[in-house]
Amino acid sequence: MLFRTLWAERMKLRHSPVWLAFIILPVLPAIMGTFNYLQNIDILQDQWYSLWTQHTLFTCYFFLPAIIGVYCSYLCRLEHINHNWNSVMTAPVPVAYIYLSKLITASVMVLLTQIWIGVLFVVSGMLSGLAAPIPPELPEWLLYGAVGGIVICALQLCISFVIRSFAIPVGIALIGGVVGLAALVKGYGVWFPYSLLCLGMRANHPGGPMQCSTEQFVMNGIFYLIFCIMFAVVWLKKRDVVAR
Amino acid sequence: MDAHELSQGWMFFLYQFPLLNSIMMPVIAAVVASRLCDNEHKGQTLKLLNTVMPAGRLFTAKFLCGALYMLAAVLLQLVVIVAVAYAVGFMGTPPFDKLFYYLLFTTAVNLTILLLQQVLSLLFVNQMVPLTVGLIGGLAGLFIMFFPQNLERLFLWGYYGVLMFVGMDWDRVTRITDFYYTPVDWAGFISLAVMFCVIYIIGRALFVRKEM
Repeated sequence: MLFRTLWAERMKLRHSPVWLAFIILPVLPAIMGTFNYLQNIDILQDQWYSLWTQHTLFTCYFFLPAIIGVYCSYLCRLEHINHNWNSVMTAPVPVAYIYLSKLITASVMVLLTQIWIGVLFVVSGMLSGLAAPIPPELPEWLLYGAVGGIVICALQLCISFVIRSFAIPVGIALIGGVVGLAALVKGYGVWFPYSLLCLGMRANHPGGPMQCSTEQFVMNGIFYLIFCIMFAVVWLKKRDVVAR
Repeated sequence: MDAHELSQGWMFFLYQFPLLNSIMMPVIAAVVASRLCDNEHKGQTLKLLNTVMPAGRLFTAKFLCGALYMLAAVLLQLVVIVAVAYAVGFMGTPPFDKLFYYLLFTTAVNLTILLLQQVLSLLFVNQMVPLTVGLIGGLAGLFIMFFPQNLERLFLWGYYGVLMFVGMDWDRVTRITDFYYTPVDWAGFISLAVMFCVIYIIGRALFVRKEM
């Protein structure tokens, strides 16, 4: 049943160019960040690690959470318009599957974006003529970044379920990113869901260990994920459908 | 904060806030414009509104409504700047002329971006398009600040940087940061005004000709 719900999500997104945003967004820091790195190569001396900060710093603090917010808003808008909640909630599908299918769809997009960021990073480094080998931590950065991204997806989907506007959840995601930066600076990054993305990607400190232990990072990610799933299920079960 | 930092406090704020604005304001403008226009798409009320008022006036009214929110955001920022400056104890009287320029330039860039976002939000029913443009524009605007200023001028979202009037010198040896005022870039302000007029004329015409 979950697979069929997922298939339905895929059909809803068919021929929709929403994935383009995730292709374009990482290209900008890849081009401009690499250019900036080459301009300041005498200050930025850590080669691949310096290049990584240029590629990811602004993107994963502010813009990746917001673009995830846009994608989740889009996934929920499909139900908010044309009285679609009536059809969705009367279909013989457990409500958890409705949420999970959207979460998995958004998570796949986050995973593909992480791979794309990795590819752009390696290509930019090679074109910049970096002599050192590619950092062995790269897959780890991308994987933990994906974990943080999936947590943001889970949260944004809940927000978009509750708030029926397209734009307001995106604004909340941006505010989340800004507050997440403050939380990260103060050392509470692992406790704040929007900080997990940049914490996992080591955007500000790629050479060293994470601000917290890996176990704590994963446990907090799972906690937020379960919390969001439970919230969404309870919300869908208890609230009466308002369809427009 | 030490005496050196307190003496440069105003300049520090007038340097940092345009950077912050280039991250926050394009997204806020996109959200405000989308919120104002998406309601009409959702309720399919554009046709109804068009029967009681000309489309051109509706376009202007929506823009003025959004502009009030953007102006309020900048005014609130100014209040926070002054309040924090007094609380921390920045030296010297507030540079009222500079604060006025900050208000003028930030509002001008905000409103031009808001106008573009409104055009996109009215033309596209799918609000993902204007919000994505806003986010990508904001990101590019932030990065382009680190590029030569001639490039910044070509890009609407880069005008927070073009109209900045505080520069920074960072001494690598002493690790001391010095801020200084630079001349106001009136040519940049005029090119922004031209951009505003072009977007207004084209955007309004596109909206008026669109099937509601």
